[in-house]
Amino acid sequence: MNPKLTTPARGDSRPANAIFRRRPAATTLAMLAVVIALPLVVPSATLACEILIFAMAVLGCNLLLGYTGLLSFGQAIFFGSGAYVAALAMIHWQVGLFTALLLAAAAGGLLALLVGALAIRRTGIYFVMLTLALTQMAYFIAYTLSDWTGGDNGLLDVPRPPVAIGGFTLFDLESPLAFYGLVAVLFVFLYLGARRVIDSAFGSTLLAIRENEARAAAVGYDTRHFKILAFALSGAVTGLAGALYAMLLNFAPLSNIELPMSEQILIMTIIGGTGSLFGSLLGAGTIVILGDLLSALWPRWMLLLGVALIAVVMFMRGGLWGGLESLGRRRAGAARKTQEDA
Amino acid sequence: MTSPLLETRDLTLAYGAFHAVDGVGLCIQPGTIHSVIGPNGAGKTSLFHCLTGERRISGGQILFDGRDITRRPAHGRVALGMARSFQITSLFQNLSVRENLRLAAQGTAGWRALDFWRRLDSHRRHAATADEMLERLALTARAELPAGTLSHGQQRILEVGMAICARPRLLLLDEPTSGMGVDDIPTMTRLIAELGRDHTVLLIEHNMSIVMSISDTITVMNRGQILVEGTPQAVREDARVRTAYLGEAA
Repeated sequence: MNPKLTTPARGDSRPANAIFRRRPAATTLAMLAVVIALPLVVPSATLACEILIFAMAVLGCNLLLGYTGLLSFGQAIFFGSGAYVAALAMIHWQVGLFTALLLAAAAGGLLALLVGALAIRRTGIYFVMLTLALTQMAYFIAYTLSDWTGGDNGLLDVPRPPVAIGGFTLFDLESPLAFYGLVAVLFVFLYLGARRVIDSAFGSTLLAIRENEARAAAVGYDTRHFKILAFALSGAVTGLAGALYAMLLNFAPLSNIELPMSEQILIMTIIGGTGSLFGSLLGAGTIVILGDLLSALWPRWMLLLGVALIAVVMFMRGGLWGGLESLGRRRAGAARKTQEDA
Repeated sequence: MTSPLLETRDLTLAYGAFHAVDGVGLCIQPGTIHSVIGPNGAGKTSLFHCLTGERRISGGQILFDGRDITRRPAHGRVALGMARSFQITSLFQNLSVRENLRLAAQGTAGWRALDFWRRLDSHRRHAATADEMLERLALTARAELPAGTLSHGQQRILEVGMAICARPRLLLLDEPTSGMGVDDIPTMTRLIAELGRDHTVLLIEHNMSIVMSISDTITVMNRGQILVEGTPQAVREDARVRTAYLGEAA
């Protein structure tokens, strides 16, 4: 067969995901560059921390929405409970940094396991409604247990313990830049971990479930197990992000576990590009930075965010990452054309 | 006579008062190609759905290799060695042809497919199965294309190929030639005849010439029940079969 005839057709018909998977090394390098440059580019290290923390939550959300096709409004449950569990463990048991983070990840993962196991008993819109309902329940539970969570006032005086091994302090994290270092290292590990999960047998099956669940079941997969595990992994990452957010703010507000938090994480995921890990960084970065810039100018800036979301959904189906990709493809196509003409 | 690989006893599937499958007792002998034919609405596809586990049956029993699988879900039947194709092509459209086959091969891995840490290279067996199957289906040249871009005939062949990837003991094929062009049908016929050498095949089919040329046993269904069962020769000559088919027209 004439390769010249097949190549352009392949470029056009190939699904967006196949392209992301083709150059994982390049995108990983780009991710590292962004993580290193971020505190130098954005106005403050605190803002940089916030971007990476939300990017983690978006990684978790992407595993469900981008790779499994599950639109979960439950992410706030995992984010909020991660924040509360880490904060309470540090306040009442005086646990160290890593124990607190591990507890938060475990709590997020476990809750996600339960939420997932219940919600995936239904599909489509009913699944979405179940995750919505569960988030509302979690919010009211947190609101009611105000002795523990501080209720409406939030949980105050959340410590930010130093990086320590066996009582010996290695790094103090009091300065925002030092804390950014911790967040950045964790983010890089989570990103690489997510890459591995997606490239595993499990990850390939998630894509199959997203593509055609009936067929996935017919070739022998118990799709429930895969969805529940995807939930648990997503919840663990999101719980960890919640804990870091509480440490960043020295405060765990009730809004962490509220429905708008789920929405915010979902919007970041969609704007960045579902099914792209690098898109997680783009989505979180865009929303956090826009929020920071616009809120200073206009208190109703969320309205503009709505416009941005509509624009992405209408004109950039693959999100910002998909937009960058098609731009790159067009330029590559134009370059090829000039080459051929010459 | 050897014991059957798949047996149904008094299998019934009812939708309210209507019995789509009505007390069917089917015996599929190992190593044979067994076809189920019948006029439209005879209950062939309903029977098929009962066997794959897609429909919960209303009564009776299904035995696979002497084991009661009546209550087993669809994915659990694959693990025992039953694989199926779909009447309406059902592929992972946006994934490559190779990935479609690899996923089908990996489907029998059970819990091991939940391995979310090791890279796919550590499950190389499934990739090897996929490559073998690409050769066998003559799709190697198209291996990297999304399955959705194949021609209809090639999609039908991929559909059957995915069922074989599980290396099943029993292959359930639901109208593999449905919607295929005349040019592609001989390829499919050859493929099924070839499969009959290594697998036991249950074939639901409309196309008489295929059924007559490759089947060892034919079951003719009519109105949810078995009308006649026998060799192609016997079925061809049976007067009741003729009435059932021609009766519609007459």
